[in-house]
Amino acid sequence: MVLTHTTNHTYNHPFPTVTLAFFLRYCSPQLNPFASHVLSTDTISTHVDPATGRLHTTRLHLKKSRMPPAVMKLLPTSITGGAADKASYILETSVVDIREGWLSTESRNLNFVGVLSVVERQLYSAPTSNSDVGKTDVETKVVFRSRLGERIRDRLGGQHAAHQPAQQENGWFARLGARPIQRSIESIASTKTLDQLGNSREGMRILLETLRQNGIIGVLELRKRARERGMEMA
Amino acid sequence: MSQSLDKQCNEVKERYDTCFLKWYSEKYLRGTGTVDNNECSALFKEYNQCLQKALKERGIDKLLEDAREDNKENDAAFLGKKK
Repeated sequence: MVLTHTTNHTYNHPFPTVTLAFFLRYCSPQLNPFASHVLSTDTISTHVDPATGRLHTTRLHLKKSRMPPAVMKLLPTSITGGAADKASYILETSVVDIREGWLSTESRNLNFVGVLSVVERQLYSAPTSNSDVGKTDVETKVVFRSRLGERIRDRLGGQHAAHQPAQQENGWFARLGARPIQRSIESIASTKTLDQLGNSREGMRILLETLRQNGIIGVLELRKRARERGMEMA
Repeated sequence: MSQSLDKQCNEVKERYDTCFLKWYSEKYLRGTGTVDNNECSALFKEYNQCLQKALKERGIDKLLEDAREDNKENDAAFLGKKK
């Protein structure tokens, strides 16, 4: 039970700037108005591989719930815990190779995975022909997979005595059948995500435009000022 | 502005982020920082200590482990199908 979407896009900005925008994209709603749903961003690990010169980074983002309300309605609260208003943890891993000119990223949700797993992979690449200098291509592939019920069944199979909540959930699946629901969850989520892909692209575009007008130092300065304003308000 | 998961880590995260962005734009992108990114490593260590505590308190360290396990499962299923 898997649904996949692939899209391609070209930014009219040079590759190094696009990679910088990738790292900056959640830094401030002043720089990216489409990042207001991002509650926090942290770097978990980062290193440059001395053999390849590639920069490996792992970040954790906390975003306001991306689980669509229509999906929540399909599920009993015994599974969601009434979690519709909770936030999602997103794990993002990225590798930049500045010499070869590519940035590869993967983002996946860490919670709700029993209901729906969304894995987004992006490959940004510098142009190979001279006529495209100053442009950057990006291919985005999103894989939706609902394994609703599978884990519970696994757990029931593996445990001698099933405890009460698991039994209830099992009864619910037995009545409704999990497969059509898995399929609905995947399709509702994919429609919503494709809308959001447009937003995230627009956010990148605004950030890239700011970088073009102000330069990197200018953007770092704007970021600093936004932070100071934030501190005053807090 | 981007906050840390735990408010207590905000200040050191901000210092690390600023260091990283400076290193990235001034050195890495110019091809001169590909061997050492040590200049921010002391800040990262301090930031990471704070963050690891926050991850543990929220049970996210477990989620990270699960994600790794899931990847293994998926890889196994994928390789199994290929045969």
